Amino acid sequence: MTQSRNPIRVLVAKPGLDGHDRGAKVIARALRDSGMEVIYTGIRQTPQMIVQAAIQEDVDVLGMSILSGAHLEILPGIMELLREEGLSDIVVIVGGIIPESDRQPLLDLGISGVFGPGTSTSAIAEFIETKIEERGVR
Amino acid sequence: MQEVAFTFANAIAYVEAAIGAGLPVDDFAPRVSFFFVAQNNLFEEVAKFRAARRMWAKIMKERFGAQDPRSMMLRFHAQTAGVTLTAQQPDINLIRCTVQALAAVLGGSQSLHVNSRDEALALPTEESAQLSLRTQQILAFESGAADVVDPLGGSYYVESLTNQLEDAAFKYLERIEEMGGAVDAIEQGFQMREIGESAYQHRREVEAGERTIVGVNQYVTDEPPFEGLLQLDPEAAQQQIQRVQRLRKERDDSQVQAALKRLNVVAQGSDNTVPAILECVESYCTLGEISQVFRDVFGEQEQMASF
Repeated sequence: MTQSRNPIRVLVAKPGLDGHDRGAKVIARALRDSGMEVIYTGIRQTPQMIVQAAIQEDVDVLGMSILSGAHLEILPGIMELLREEGLSDIVVIVGGIIPESDRQPLLDLGISGVFGPGTSTSAIAEFIETKIEERGVR
Repeated sequence: MQEVAFTFANAIAYVEAAIGAGLPVDDFAPRVSFFFVAQNNLFEEVAKFRAARRMWAKIMKERFGAQDPRSMMLRFHAQTAGVTLTAQQPDINLIRCTVQALAAVLGGSQSLHVNSRDEALALPTEESAQLSLRTQQILAFESGAADVVDPLGGSYYVESLTNQLEDAAFKYLERIEEMGGAVDAIEQGFQMREIGESAYQHRREVEAGERTIVGVNQYVTDEPPFEGLLQLDPEAAQQQIQRVQRLRKERDDSQVQAALKRLNVVAQGSDNTVPAILECVESYCTLGEISQVFRDVFGEQEQMASF
């Protein structure tokens, strides 16, 4: 497959019940400004809704924002659904209020990056670009 | 300015709805109360609260013809600004919260919530919450800041800032009025766009180094992860699920169904729904069941997931 210059497609999603989406929207906009195509799901999404949106929008990256503390309850199911749908090549990143001690368990689920409060938006954009480049096939 | 204008646009919509339902303004307006944030910029925040007080009195008196002075009073709660809490060097959030709380006190807040130092990382621990309470107590009992009404009144700087903010907030409110008021503006996505815009601008300024955030883009130190964050009991969720299951088994189901049905009927009409809600609660309906009645009748808010 040849290397194309299509913009990276990103789904920004808010799983679970917390309504704090200021951060998710700021990041969605920053990624768009850095040249990516970004779709935002809105708040209160179920794992099924998120995975369906990822399929329909044919995204390269799924970025989820969780500020409720429920990341360890919500994310294993979403990763499982992605595997079932054969979407394991999607780069999954997570941000929000996530204690340092939960970072490794999340990475062990197959999540590529965990970003806490104060992360610069350019660092996230660079992370995505590097991961997508590593993945190669676009 | 944006906060004050959005708040009063909403309040006007509520007051109009109550008047539209046939209530005389002075019958309910003395019970209207507000909730504001207390942000970092000390004098701007004090001026904001002062401007808000003047604006509300004018709105109630001139627009709604209120006669009772209590209808024109701005009763408000203030909470320190969660968005200013940093995950970096969490202890310095105590100082941010102190400045913000002081602004609320100097601005005449009747009620105050001081956030905790560790809330950018987790729900606060008891120790952190106690430090927040002590912050309030020092302001209340040691600083003297709460001893007089409007202690900054007459200061050239604060008075001119108050005038500027009042002027700008009334102009911005006018824009919302031109859209048809708060409800129409929400449906057009106006508030959401404006808030998104200012959140993004703020973030851009921080990342460009145009706005200093101590510990984030200036005076950064290498630090180990903050120790002693609140850990939630993993059993708690299970226990709550079991409690609800037990409740569902033990309650009188026919009474529950009858109460929910009555609430559904009342919600479809124009009567006060509170007595019907109370009846549901007394019949041990769950919060989820009661909310579902309203979802069935009114539907849910359609999100505009733009950014």
